[in-house]
Amino acid sequence: MTLNTTDTVPRSRARRLFSRLEGPQTMGSGPAFWTVAALVLGVAAAYPLIADAWTVGNAAYFLIWTFMAMGLGVVWGYAGALSFGQTAFFGLAGYAYGVITINLGTAYGLTIVALLLSVAIGGLFALVIGYFMFYGRIQGVFIGIVTLSVTLVLETFMAQTAGPQWRIGEARLNGFNGMSGMPPLTLPWFGGDIVLYPGPPLYYLLLGLVVICYLGLRILLNSPFGNVLVAIRENPHRVGMLGYDVRLYQMLAFGIGGAFAALSGALYTAWGQYITPSSMGLTSAALPIVWVAVGGRRDITATLIGTLVVLAGFQTLTIYGSQYALVVMGALLLVTVLAAPQGLIVGAMTLLGRLFQRSKT
Amino acid sequence: MTEILKVQGLRKAFGGVVVANGIDFSLSKGAMHCLIGPNGAGKSSFFRLLLGEHAPDAGTITFDGSDITGLRSFQRIRRGISVKFQVPGIFKALSVRQNLEVAFQDHLHGHSLSATIREMLDFTDLRAEEMTPAGILSHGQQQWLEIAMAVGVEPKLLLLDEPTAGMSPDETRKTGEMLHELNGRGITILAVEHDMAFVEQIAKRVTVLHFGSIFAEGTITEIIDHPGVQEIYLGTADV
Amino acid sequence: MALFQSVFGMLYQFGDTFAFLVISCAGLAVIFGMMGVINLAHGEFIMCGAYVTASAARAGLPLPLAILTGALVAGLVGMLVERLVIRHLYHRPLDSIIATWGISLIATQGVLIVLGSTMQGVGTPLGSIDVGGRSYSLYRLVLMACALGLLGGLYVLFYHSRFGVIARATIQKPQMAHALGVNTGRMYGLTFGLGAALAGLAGGLYAPTMTMVPTMGSTFMVESFVTVVVGGADIFVGAAPAAAILALIKAGLTAWYGQLFGQIGLLVTVILVIRILPGGLSGWLKGTTR
Repeated sequence: MTLNTTDTVPRSRARRLFSRLEGPQTMGSGPAFWTVAALVLGVAAAYPLIADAWTVGNAAYFLIWTFMAMGLGVVWGYAGALSFGQTAFFGLAGYAYGVITINLGTAYGLTIVALLLSVAIGGLFALVIGYFMFYGRIQGVFIGIVTLSVTLVLETFMAQTAGPQWRIGEARLNGFNGMSGMPPLTLPWFGGDIVLYPGPPLYYLLLGLVVICYLGLRILLNSPFGNVLVAIRENPHRVGMLGYDVRLYQMLAFGIGGAFAALSGALYTAWGQYITPSSMGLTSAALPIVWVAVGGRRDITATLIGTLVVLAGFQTLTIYGSQYALVVMGALLLVTVLAAPQGLIVGAMTLLGRLFQRSKT
Repeated sequence: MTEILKVQGLRKAFGGVVVANGIDFSLSKGAMHCLIGPNGAGKSSFFRLLLGEHAPDAGTITFDGSDITGLRSFQRIRRGISVKFQVPGIFKALSVRQNLEVAFQDHLHGHSLSATIREMLDFTDLRAEEMTPAGILSHGQQQWLEIAMAVGVEPKLLLLDEPTAGMSPDETRKTGEMLHELNGRGITILAVEHDMAFVEQIAKRVTVLHFGSIFAEGTITEIIDHPGVQEIYLGTADV
Repeated sequence: MALFQSVFGMLYQFGDTFAFLVISCAGLAVIFGMMGVINLAHGEFIMCGAYVTASAARAGLPLPLAILTGALVAGLVGMLVERLVIRHLYHRPLDSIIATWGISLIATQGVLIVLGSTMQGVGTPLGSIDVGGRSYSLYRLVLMACALGLLGGLYVLFYHSRFGVIARATIQKPQMAHALGVNTGRMYGLTFGLGAALAGLAGGLYAPTMTMVPTMGSTFMVESFVTVVVGGADIFVGAAPAAAILALIKAGLTAWYGQLFGQIGLLVTVILVIRILPGGLSGWLKGTTR
């Protein structure tokens, strides 16, 4: 009897957890949605078999950015706090990864430790900034200004670290030119480490991380925590009058968003083996806003798809010159805000859902 | 009779405007009490002070035996105060069910959460609207939804700011019945109300606020017959 | 003499920073204070003013006139932007920020494509004066005077002119102003245009001291944002004293620890101020005087 109960309790808890993969906070549910999702994942997994190594490395590059976008989706789309400074956490974690790995080396899977530490540093920094903002009752547009100022000042700071006196251990910060020469991610393995240069192995690692983070966020957003977040977005005053500490929830959401941006930053540094101050500059800071706004901020799936679509489009345009691509980005942002404030992907998904409903009935 | 709420010497001024001028007020457990007064008498400010949205300049607020004067709003709510605002404070983009989930999930989980939500949907007659976004409910339904959100986890004290504002006579009557039922379950109720017919329907005792002070207190008939109360409402003082 | 020299040095440093903060934030503060819109294209209006000023000056226009031309052009562009974009977003303040960011991207990169990565500027006029063996730019002293003049001019405009009265009425009670026959749409257009023109003026005034690059506007961004955040919504009660305080902090830290710590000091001040005074300086000052 006792064995029976101890067996069923964790199982029901796990079931409740997985039942939160679907819910009011996320679009897409039912067998049809998950079948399509599995098919997409299958195609993504088969991609390295048909594409050359360079293209796969490039696809890995796209995947790296999705974490920052999903984090911004949580902060902006769900919790309603528009942060312009996600790149601050991105850049900080990127530099942290560089400093840690250059000093510690790659043995014993230390690069993975460095990755985790960098994410923790970025997330903690976000919590600190979040504490000052939300406990200082900063709201609305001021959150945007403060976060943007933070990232721009960090950029200025890093750009001024030229010269041999700016070093942390073995790692030279190198000012405007940025830091380079840090090792890529390295997995300890029997009979020799696997070094994850841009290519299929790194691609699979990132694909796995994207799937885990995406599903994890779906569960989180449909949980009681996610319920409170969207309620705060709708009416923070009422949420406080239901007995919740609104500031705490906002700070935590901001910390989560910062940690996701930090994950992107550390992975980016490991992927390209360099990080520069301009990754925290005004143009870089605008890009996550473009991805998330164009895709649709109020749904994590739309954010993910939108980011990948915009990134792919951006790269195609870059062939004609990156300044043209940025003009198109700016125009896209303008058109989205004026014509489809919900986001283009959300609009498309709503339309698809409606068509699907109609064909069923 | 034990007191659930005791306010002593409560004072608050904004610049030269005194909104609470040494209010002494107490409410016994299980009461259903109305707070009336002409516009600008300080009723809303009194509620804000009780809820911790304003910090008083002087005075103490004791709730259920402990001093809550220094607590933040959400901490007071957690001790068992609940509130329904004049303008429905609901989450318009979320479904009725989600509104109730957010209201109850901090205290209830799993089956007891679903059971309470079902009970509250029945109580407010919103069963059919469970999945409807709250913003497209009728005005009366939005008010009831907010009452449901406020009482689902059985607060000790329910504060209502003009609960029937903008309601039809039929909706008003139904709201009165709801409040009687809630009071019957042991929830102490303090309501700010303008509609004297509604006050008669729900309250046994009434307090009149005027210029940030308690002007009179008594049963509904005593208050209606009180000459001073007629004066401050009709403005016939010294005529 | 050495004391006089170092005091003058400090004052100069302070005045220079104060002037920079006031001049660069005026346009942003007017648009934010009057309309509640954060204009992320602020830097691009500055760039526009600087480019027009430099071109006009090289075409032979005297510098003061060239600067006014720069401000005028930036103001007209601002009114156009308001008509085409901002007007549709008054009820969605967050979206209006994003839209202005889109405009900023288009403007920066568009100028890069059309005019190239740099443009020939104009030299700093007026030379320098010698105080106790060290030379100070005379033009920067002129800029300090301009900052004070700008504050005075804006004060007269908003508190002692018909435009100012109507503008403030429109902002505070739009429906009422509308009912009284004020063309509120035009007021918003003019206010945004004024803010853009002030940004253009900042660009024009600083054009002789800077390198002409399409991204030059971002140089002004942090400082002007910080001033507006610390100051709060009201430019006179908030932004001007905020500029003074920030200039003091920045000049002090720069003098003792260098440029970098000056800027970090600004950021730390901002974070502390928002924690202690949520309404900014103007919210605090108004709160205590009421």
